Amino acid sequence: MNGLQWFFPEKLDVVPELLKRDGIVPHAGGTFLIKTGMKKVKGLIDLANLPLDIFHDSNGFIEIGSTSTFSGIVEKMSSNNADSILVKSLGQAASTPLRNRITIGGSIASFPIWSDAMGPLIALDAEVSLIGAVEGFFSIVRYVTERELRKETLIKSVRFKSEKWDSYYFRATRTQFDYPAFNITVLCKRLDNVIKDIRIVIVGNRKKFVRITGLEEKLMNVKTDDADIPVIVRDIDIEFAAKKLGSADYIKQLAGIELERGINRILRSK
Amino acid sequence: MKAIFRINGQEKELSFDSRATLLTVLRENGCTEVKEGCNAGECGACLVLLDGKPVNSCQIFAASIGSKEITTINGIGDIHSPHPIQEAFVDTGAVQCGFCTPGMILAAYSLLEENPEPTDDEIKRALDGNICRCTGYVKIIDAIRLASKRMRENE
Amino acid sequence: MNKFLNIGKSVKKIDALSLASGIEKFVDDFPLDNPLYLAILYSPHAHANIVNIDTTEAESIDGVVDILHYGNVQRILHTTAGQGFPEPSPYDTALFNRKMRFVGDRVAAVAAESSKAAREAARKIAVEYEILEPLFDIEKAMDDDAPRIHGDDAHVVIPVPYEPERNLAAEVEIGFGDMQRGFAEADFIEEHTYTTQYASHCAIEPHAAISYFDERGRLVIVTTTQVPFHARRITAQVLDIPVGMIRVIKPRIGGGFGGKQEVFLEPLVAIVSWRNKRPAKIALTRSEVFVASRTRNAMRIRLKTGAKKDGTITAIEMDALMNTGAYGSHALTVLSNAGSKVLPLFNKVENISFIGRSVYTNLPIGGAYRGYGATKGYFAFNQQLDTIARRKNQDILEYIKSWHIKEGETSPIFAALGEGKEGVAQIIRSCKLSECIDKGAEAIDWYSKRGKRIRIDSEDKVKGIGIAVSMQGSGIPRIDMGSASMKMNEDGSFNLHIGATDLGTGSDTILAQIAAEVLQIPVEKMIVRSSDTDLTPFDVGAYASSTTYVSGNAVRKCAEKIGAQIISVAGKMLDTNVENLILTDCKVVETLSKREISFAQICQYALYSADQFQIQAGASYYGTESPPPFAAQFAEVDVDTRTGKVDVIKFVSAVDCGQPIHPKLAEGQVEGAVVNGISYALCEEYLFDSKGRMTNDSFWDYKIYNALDIPELVTILADSHEETGPFGAKSVGEIAINGPMPAIANAIYDAVGVRLFNAPFTPEKVFNAIKNKR
Repeated sequence: MNGLQWFFPEKLDVVPELLKRDGIVPHAGGTFLIKTGMKKVKGLIDLANLPLDIFHDSNGFIEIGSTSTFSGIVEKMSSNNADSILVKSLGQAASTPLRNRITIGGSIASFPIWSDAMGPLIALDAEVSLIGAVEGFFSIVRYVTERELRKETLIKSVRFKSEKWDSYYFRATRTQFDYPAFNITVLCKRLDNVIKDIRIVIVGNRKKFVRITGLEEKLMNVKTDDADIPVIVRDIDIEFAAKKLGSADYIKQLAGIELERGINRILRSK
Repeated sequence: MKAIFRINGQEKELSFDSRATLLTVLRENGCTEVKEGCNAGECGACLVLLDGKPVNSCQIFAASIGSKEITTINGIGDIHSPHPIQEAFVDTGAVQCGFCTPGMILAAYSLLEENPEPTDDEIKRALDGNICRCTGYVKIIDAIRLASKRMRENE
Repeated sequence: MNKFLNIGKSVKKIDALSLASGIEKFVDDFPLDNPLYLAILYSPHAHANIVNIDTTEAESIDGVVDILHYGNVQRILHTTAGQGFPEPSPYDTALFNRKMRFVGDRVAAVAAESSKAAREAARKIAVEYEILEPLFDIEKAMDDDAPRIHGDDAHVVIPVPYEPERNLAAEVEIGFGDMQRGFAEADFIEEHTYTTQYASHCAIEPHAAISYFDERGRLVIVTTTQVPFHARRITAQVLDIPVGMIRVIKPRIGGGFGGKQEVFLEPLVAIVSWRNKRPAKIALTRSEVFVASRTRNAMRIRLKTGAKKDGTITAIEMDALMNTGAYGSHALTVLSNAGSKVLPLFNKVENISFIGRSVYTNLPIGGAYRGYGATKGYFAFNQQLDTIARRKNQDILEYIKSWHIKEGETSPIFAALGEGKEGVAQIIRSCKLSECIDKGAEAIDWYSKRGKRIRIDSEDKVKGIGIAVSMQGSGIPRIDMGSASMKMNEDGSFNLHIGATDLGTGSDTILAQIAAEVLQIPVEKMIVRSSDTDLTPFDVGAYASSTTYVSGNAVRKCAEKIGAQIISVAGKMLDTNVENLILTDCKVVETLSKREISFAQICQYALYSADQFQIQAGASYYGTESPPPFAAQFAEVDVDTRTGKVDVIKFVSAVDCGQPIHPKLAEGQVEGAVVNGISYALCEEYLFDSKGRMTNDSFWDYKIYNALDIPELVTILADSHEETGPFGAKSVGEIAINGPMPAIANAIYDAVGVRLFNAPFTPEKVFNAIKNKR
């Protein structure tokens, strides 16, 4: 393997041109590139000196710079947003030393199937701000499903509405330091024990992720005391591949059970 | 490539391969106290502090360190003047083979800097990136609890 | 009340601070002058002949100096098992074989100026294979049409059964009494088949070895070994050079657990050095450690027991089939151990039969692993006990207490089943198992949880509790030998040189404690050097739980000789009879007159004044018996009845290791073994694809516990004393790993009424078992 070219830009405006070059990719400091191998990579754009480590909580939005680390985000959100789904999910992802390096931007851009960031961000209807071949804010679902949005672009930040949600996060792991076979995000708003808004996302299924709108619809306006959760969840049909955690069939059943438990937990909570 | 690395308070200009990890550069330049256990960010033997925060040095490109301060176990104490955490590890029997020990102690150091009186759960969470096959963790947790107590008493 | 100066005290481990400060050197930390770096090319096929190796392209890589393979290295069959000579394991491998016998077998090795060049060149070696049908199923290994894995030149060097033409690597058969009658007398018969899986030691330090020439042209090997003297001998054998030309040094090593009781890297670096007259080094990657070092043998045990209504066991029949993998290191001894360490525990059973076979397969190589065969045997045995006790609705604790072997008793198994040869008869002199059962039961609050199926977490989780008992050994009797030598310095300090191998276990410290106890001095005055074949006397190495008992007795004997010399000099100096003199507090004191002289004065006199001589001694010890430690271990689990997930909430180990020399180190051995045993029970396993390739060769997918995973651990060391052990000690290195798997299985049964016969108890397995029960 030949030498790697390194770029250390200090201004954002030089980045788009670098992104156009063949084999040059951004590197925020996380582990994805080292882990997955770098055969096609000819050079790295080190993002550390760019003004991408921002955190804003204002005007009803939380905006997080793409080079913010998981632990950095948890720390910043713990003061005013300690109950946030993002604190729950990112706070358990990987391990302490890895959370100090994995960035939210890198995690979104690489979107590994075990990601602990994507479920919550999809549930929060987050948007990413891009520069490069494409510029502007885009929904995170569009970003991960449309290739054109990921070609020669850099994520500057991710933002989502700053709202109060009841939240639940589950990771299907074998031991405590493990990458989840799947994870479940549930966000819920209730008024007088009636579900006013509910968002349910699973990451790790065959299609990589799914927002279970069918289930959300069934639960909308349901009185939490009346809800027969097992019956409601039973008809959900999500396919999983076999993984080291278990067979496809087992994982599917496990997901159904944990989904039921999660919704139960969140509805029965204070 | 060449860059200046700040290791344990000293600056060194080192040459390294553009693809090299921080672990490789450290070990090839005299810092063999930083160990390689898996080269995959899964065991914590290579753990060092980067600007005071624990990281797996095997998962970081040396080229991207910049001016960040690197702290290895040598940077917090030695056999002549050990850090209280090192002494606590000795006193509770937390050191068996010692291969995971520098990483464990640095993780503990970073925890106690931030949280001088951690609960057992907080201690275990701080160690979640360090595996040990010898001790079963029991005496390592004892050591950190003891170090926390001693360090608070000495303030 | 502790009557000792050093024994039973948790003194500072002599290398704890140096390890905690990072200053100690492990093998890969040693600087080498201009070394050759090694990279190994591994077979991608489970079973194949190498038809042709073309190294032309590889040789053209800049920096490549040497490429070794079967074609240019002398073929000397040997075993890599680190055992006493002649080894009980078959000589079935050369350094490089022409036939590849598992995915991960060694095709070739490249030596180059950089590890990058070596690895690049290894990738460029062109190999033509003739692919053969692989064998993965142990039950089919001895079929007539099974692929034959080893050829006619593989052989054994002691007279034991060995039939490579049937893929039979080892066979053991012993029996007592009349099995037919025994089963006929039974009121009920239980027959179950238990299987345990492949596992990896996961020592955090990967295997590594370096070699270089000293100033006199002798080869020095610094290696991550548990067996420096066996490493020296086997390396000499494989290189066909005299043992005297080799020095093997073990520095600090990062754990072993049996995985480093194997000599497979030392001959490799040695031969590279030998051929090229340069230093050589290799350190395995974690993936290589998983696949290409050694593993815990997978085993299938069919256990049939007959019992009467009153609980009397009338017959035990154990039929063990062990997967030794591609090569047969430890094939006979691990196998024998499944019977030899398990069957004596219930010594009053009159009709016993043990049939064991180890077979070759085209899978990674099994070897020594903490607990050895006993761990697998106890998985089966303890579940069978639980079943028997439940049949009769009897309190299993009382049942075991009434049936286990007691002090003063023996078992015919001791004499019948050894490790390669016949065993050695012995009488149990110390056994506190009943006390361990009582203390452990109290610590886990047995009676308020057993059989109660307490529900927690809104009815989904059920609590269960289980027990497992075991015994191990303390060294292999009449085979394992250790030696020590000591000399005195003129300030009253001593050099203690021991062959014994400290893997991190703290043996350097406890052996110093034993010597210091004999001489009645503080441990700090003992300067320890160990595991250097030039400077320290022989020791078999760290395995079979031999260090405390065998090496410890050697140290004790040596220190006693030193003590006698000190007293004799003092007698001359004080002009008095040696009977009037005692050692105390770094002095010799005359009991009646209270005259005293210091050790320093004595040594100076001996070195300089008159009748000068160096106060020094050497001693060896081999055990004529192997006094077993005993353990009663208890698991409390919560079983998620809907998902099958098993959480271990609390684990109690009550252990009789004789007199603990260093309580914290003894506890540390128990705690480490228990946590290893728990993940071995619940989540550690080797996954293979259909072609025999391991698919989870990293910590990403081979899961072991971290600090967040562990249950509450309670360790109780029984008050015990073994009269043949140094200051009453036995051993504690292995035993605690035997309990977790069966105790957890028994606890799962207690919780949900399903018995897990196949380890590990993954959530899906438990889930399916619960479902099938309904």
